[in-house]
Amino acid sequence: MKIAVTAFKEKIRRRDLYIVSGIGVLILLLFGSGTGSLSIDGVPVTDYRVLGPVMLTVVNAISCILTVVMSLGTIPNEYERGTSHLVWIRHVPQWRYHGELAFANVLAGWASETILFAAMLVFMLINRRADQLWRLAPAWLILGINVAAVSMLTSLLSVVLPKFAAGTIAAAAAFAGIFHSLLGLLKDMVGGLGGELIRYALKLVPDLHEIQAQAGAVLYGGRVDAHVVLCGLLAVYGYMVLLFAAKTTSDRVWG
Amino acid sequence: MLECCNLTKSYKGKCVVRDLSFRVERGEIFAFLGSNGAGKTTTIKMILGLVKMDSGQVKIAEGVRVGYSPETPYFPPFLSGPEVLDYYAGIQKIPGIRRRAEIAALLDTVGLEDGGTRVRNYSKGMLQRLALAQALLGDPDLLVLDEPTAGLDALGRLEMLRLIGKLKNGGRTILINSHILSDIERICDRGIIIKKGVCLGSWNKAEEHSRSLEEIFLELVGGENE
Repeated sequence: MKIAVTAFKEKIRRRDLYIVSGIGVLILLLFGSGTGSLSIDGVPVTDYRVLGPVMLTVVNAISCILTVVMSLGTIPNEYERGTSHLVWIRHVPQWRYHGELAFANVLAGWASETILFAAMLVFMLINRRADQLWRLAPAWLILGINVAAVSMLTSLLSVVLPKFAAGTIAAAAAFAGIFHSLLGLLKDMVGGLGGELIRYALKLVPDLHEIQAQAGAVLYGGRVDAHVVLCGLLAVYGYMVLLFAAKTTSDRVWG
Repeated sequence: MLECCNLTKSYKGKCVVRDLSFRVERGEIFAFLGSNGAGKTTTIKMILGLVKMDSGQVKIAEGVRVGYSPETPYFPPFLSGPEVLDYYAGIQKIPGIRRRAEIAALLDTVGLEDGGTRVRNYSKGMLQRLALAQALLGDPDLLVLDEPTAGLDALGRLEMLRLIGKLKNGGRTILINSHILSDIERICDRGIIIKKGVCLGSWNKAEEHSRSLEEIFLELVGGENE
C-alpha cells in the first residue's frame, strides 16, 4: 500500500481540497443557521427535518464534484512525470499500480466528505441533537459509497481517455447520479430519442441520489433500503474491475 | 550482460529507432551517444520494457537486476531523500531491517547525508544524485542512466562523473545515455553513436588513440544537428 499512502499524502496537501471543502462547510453552516420565517404545510423551512436532507444533498453534491477534481489527475500525472517508470521497473503490475492510485483517490474523496460532515455535526449540535450524533458515522459510510463510486469511475476514465474528456464525462456522470431521480422524470417527459438516450445514460451511472436518501434515512429516521446500498457497492466493484482491466502504454500522450 | 538485436520502434508512422543492435559486456560503462531526438531514450525504455518495441529483441542475462535513473526525475516534493528511498525500497520489497542500512549506505555513496531536507528544496544536482541512489536500491548488476549530467552545473557534473566512476570500480555494468561528449569520453569504455534511430558507428576508448570522441562523432553525424 506504499503507493496509495504516498499518493494520498500528496493529495491531502493540495490547497484546493481545503478551499472547496471550506467553502462547502461555510455554505452548509449558512443554510443550517437560517432563521427565516417561511413555512411549508406549517413546518418552517429552517426546521431540522426539512433542512437536514437539503444539507445532505449539498454535502453529497460538493463531495462528488470535489472527488472528480481530485481523482482526475492522479494517474495521468504519474505517467506525465515518469514516476510510473520507476514503479514499473520494480515489477509492479499495472493493475496494482492503478488500483493503489485509485484507492488514494477514494481516500482523498472520503477526506473531503469528512470535512463537509463537520458542518453536519455543527448543524446537529445547533439543533440540539447531540444524542443523535452517532448517526453521523453510518450516514458517512453510506454516503462514502457515492464518493467511492465517483472516484473509481473518474480514475477509470482517466486511464482510458484524455484528461479533458475524462473530466467532462466523470462530472456529467456525477451530475446524472446526483440528479438521477430528476433525470428519470425528465426521461419520461421527453420521450423519443432524447428519452432513450437519458434512459441508457442513467443505466450507466449509479443512483447517487437514492444512496444519499439512505444516508438521510439513517440520519433523520427511516428505513434503510439495503438493496440500494448493495447496488451502490456493486457499482464501485464494477468500476474497480474495469479499472484493473484497463491498460495503458507508457508512451501515450496524456493531456 | 545485455544484448539488443534489431530494435525497431515507430511513433505515429515515424520510425524513431531502426534495426538497432549492440552488446554491453559485464563490468563496462557503455555509452549511448546521439543528439537530442536521436532515439536514445526510446531505446532505453525498450530495454527496460517501458515501451513496447515494434520488432527486435532485448536479451538480459538471467538473474541480472536492473536499476534505472531517469533524465528528469520527479519525487513527491513533501518527502525527504531517505523517505523517497524508503518508498521505492518498500515497492521493491526490500526487508525492513536491511532497508535502513542500505538507505543510509546509499545516501552516503551519493553524498546526500542531510536526510531532513524535503525534495522540494533539492537542487537539480541533488535530485540527480537521489535518482541515482534509488536506481542503486537492491544492488543492481546493470545500471541504466538516462542523461545523468543533463542540466547540472560544472561542479554537479564533476561530482556525478566521479560517482559513476566509483560505481564502475565497484564492478557494476553501466549503460549511459548522453549527448555530452566530454562526459562520455571521460568515463565510458565503449559506445555507439546513433542518429535518427540508426546506429552510425561505434567507439572504443581503448582502441582510439589518434582521434578524440568529438572527431569521431562529427565524422559520423556529419556536423549537422537533427
